Amino acid sequence: MTFYDIAHESWLSISGNKMRSFLTVLGIVIGIMAVVVMVAVGETVQQSITDQFSSLGTNTIMIRAGAAQSAGVRGGNRMTLTMDDVQYLSQLPDVAALSPVENSSAQVVYGNKNWATSMVGVYPGYATVQNLEMEYGTFIDMSAVRNAATYAVIGPDTAEELGMPKNPVGEIIRVRNTPLTVIGVTKAKGDSGMGSQDDMIIVPITTLKKRITGSRFPNSVNMISLKLYQDSDNNIATEQITALLRQRHKLKDGAADDFQITDMKQVMETMNTVSSYLTLLLVAIAAVSLLVGSIGIMNMMLVSVAERTREIGIRKAIGAQESTIITQFLSESILISFIGSMFGLVIGVGLSQGVGRLILHYNVPFSIWPVVVSISVAAVVGLASGVMPAIKAAKLNPIDSLRYE
Amino acid sequence: MKSTPIISMKKICKTFPLEVGGEQQVLFDISFTINPGEFVAIMGPSGSGKSTCMNIIGALDSATSGTYELYGKDITTLTPDELAKIRNEYIGFVFQNFNLLPKRNILDNVMLPLMYRGLPMSERLERAREMLNLVNLENFETYLPTQLSGGMKQRVAIARALAGDPKLILADEPTGALDSKMGNEILRFFKKLNKELGITIIMITHEFEIAQYANRVIHIYDGHITFDGPIPKNESVLLKSEQKVRKK
Repeated sequence: MTFYDIAHESWLSISGNKMRSFLTVLGIVIGIMAVVVMVAVGETVQQSITDQFSSLGTNTIMIRAGAAQSAGVRGGNRMTLTMDDVQYLSQLPDVAALSPVENSSAQVVYGNKNWATSMVGVYPGYATVQNLEMEYGTFIDMSAVRNAATYAVIGPDTAEELGMPKNPVGEIIRVRNTPLTVIGVTKAKGDSGMGSQDDMIIVPITTLKKRITGSRFPNSVNMISLKLYQDSDNNIATEQITALLRQRHKLKDGAADDFQITDMKQVMETMNTVSSYLTLLLVAIAAVSLLVGSIGIMNMMLVSVAERTREIGIRKAIGAQESTIITQFLSESILISFIGSMFGLVIGVGLSQGVGRLILHYNVPFSIWPVVVSISVAAVVGLASGVMPAIKAAKLNPIDSLRYE
Repeated sequence: MKSTPIISMKKICKTFPLEVGGEQQVLFDISFTINPGEFVAIMGPSGSGKSTCMNIIGALDSATSGTYELYGKDITTLTPDELAKIRNEYIGFVFQNFNLLPKRNILDNVMLPLMYRGLPMSERLERAREMLNLVNLENFETYLPTQLSGGMKQRVAIARALAGDPKLILADEPTGALDSKMGNEILRFFKKLNKELGITIIMITHEFEIAQYANRVIHIYDGHITFDGPIPKNESVLLKSEQKVRKK
């Protein structure tokens, strides 16, 4: 028998009992579809985590003032980090850029519009740390920081909300009582998910502290963001930072750190691990429905063998060998499984892409491996559920089968 | 030059194990030879062992003891797969209830043995069409068996049996499911195949009138051959022969 003969015979047998074949195929369709959709959900979660961090960069480290935790009470308000710490940290070999970060909120006024947004006081290094690019104008420079210049860089969404001209460089906005000259607009980064970076006002940290919030501790820093060189090791850098700050803060051995370091790479790795377990769990649940589907195939094949006892007898009488009968029944179950898998794959991919893109407006990643998995699962499920019925069919005695009514 | 006999059976015995334990012997020392071109009827009442005998002749079953040579090849001790190959190459079956595949059209049914032989599609088609022509069903290629009359179905079965160019046609009660008109038509066709094409035919039957289409009759009674020779004038000769076994 040629491959064509086998495929043709299988197709004729399957299509000869349309309703039953359809229901059996449906079991596999649902199983594969569930797996494909669950994989897509998992990958989407993973992708969104990666996206959030890639806008920030995984070689970013954040240092916050105050002990991480002491006796269950966060000491985040202690003024433990200073501008001098920033100067010293910038000397570390792995640090590519850094900036103190002072967060605040602001009600911005432009003409007759006003808009509530977040404001951040920084150093010029902030642009590098946050991967900010300029759409118009320039970023804050060091002389602006030294002079506490009334300059502001704004996000594109902020400019839009305030109804500013397309290129708002040179326009004056007002925050509280301080007028600020817009010197630049950042390029849109898209919604990063963790507070849009497209809607914020960036000012020199000195301007924020001295002119806008009027901080009583102009030399203290809440947070320092660092960007490491691409080839730096986050762990080594973290150790160096810890050692430097402990020394500068004159902490004795055994005393707790009075600062808290967050390594974005670690955070991302943790989140990725969590989401991959989540994916695994979802796929495992989906796999159960696939298992049920394959039991459906086996059941159908067993019924089919019993029903077609006479046919098997005829085939054997006119020369079909045991291996031929096995091949025939196996290829029937593989064909059913294959048809089911292909439909399941198409529907699953269609569903996840369709729902993701059209309803959630999210780019659902399309990866090749559900396709590979579907095809291999189709083969394995088809074989596994077909073997027993096929052997049963092959072992039938032609004399008894021919008499079977 | 003497040609190789189609069938040469020597002292064939067949014993079946019984479910309640022990065993039952259904064939005793069956020996006969069938030469090419013969048309033999194997007769006997039901339960006589003629079906078992047919299964052994048809390589569907193997004997418990004795030797069976099919066209000079000893097939007494072959595996099921080897027997399948023998059936495919040497024997064309015609069954009482036709045994066509109900969901395959006539052409597919006739091509089936050729597919198992591994012939390319073009040869299968050519050969199957030739056979359908021979049984005058060339216009019914795409019909399903269920759409045909009993006589036509049996002609399809004959075409299928002949398609593989077998050494032997083995017909098991070929007219059992047909009315007498169609039955006679099939029997005349067998006669014609035997006479004009020289095809060897073995026909199992329990009716003497049907056996008369053959040239030779082998009568089996209680697992023994009681008569082997040209068709006698009337059935009483065969019935009398059964006495030989009864006396034992």
